[in-house]
Amino acid sequence: MTRVTDDIIIRTVARVFMPFIQIYALYVIMHGHHSPGGGFQGGVILGASFILYLITHGVEDAKKRMSELRAGLFSSFGLLIYSGIGLLCLIMGGNYLDYGRLSTILKVIPAQARSLGILGVEIGVGITVMAVMLSIFFDISTGGVLPEDEEGLEENDE
Amino acid sequence: MMSNFFLYLGMGLFTLVFLCLYRGVFGPGVLNRIAAISAIGTKTLVILLIMGFIYHRVEMFVDISMVYALLNFIGTIAAAKYLENGGEI
Repeated sequence: MTRVTDDIIIRTVARVFMPFIQIYALYVIMHGHHSPGGGFQGGVILGASFILYLITHGVEDAKKRMSELRAGLFSSFGLLIYSGIGLLCLIMGGNYLDYGRLSTILKVIPAQARSLGILGVEIGVGITVMAVMLSIFFDISTGGVLPEDEEGLEENDE
Repeated sequence: MMSNFFLYLGMGLFTLVFLCLYRGVFGPGVLNRIAAISAIGTKTLVILLIMGFIYHRVEMFVDISMVYALLNFIGTIAAAKYLENGGEI
């Protein structure tokens, strides 16, 4: 189980850095088609900011901010955005993820619809990657012990 | 002229990476190894920026090097905390 660190410097630096890391992650997601990066890389940075918080503040405090249930819901939600945009293109009469067809819904020219469509897909990928990375790290830091198992173990100790 | 300067600078840093790698592999104790890995990460960051200057695309490589610095920072904190608590992050 990951515990809170005793060092106030590390805790303060992590807390101050976290919003800047998240802003940078959003920049990487939004700027994915002009510079290196994209949904996966931005999601990894976004997940890294939460992992930094988890390492420095312990798993109990981190679970108050982002519980395991919420991480699982976010991972499904990101996938829903991705597949929803893909299926929307399918419904509009194109191929799967054929963003040009979205121009009739968004009321823009097809080139701009492609840009907006890939941005939406990258946001979905970013949310999923962030949630899955956090979920994996929760599993590692608790040693694979589920919350209900933990209560059972404490009762057995008493 | 300026491109050659950056090239030689990068080559010098590249050799220094191997000296750090020696300390990381054979170095006595875990603290030396953590410091060596952290130093290699910092040198990689500078090498990435120098590559950006050589290819005239600094704005691309700045993004990559910032991510590299961030992950290096988190990795060093995790390794140091692992060491402090005796095998537990």
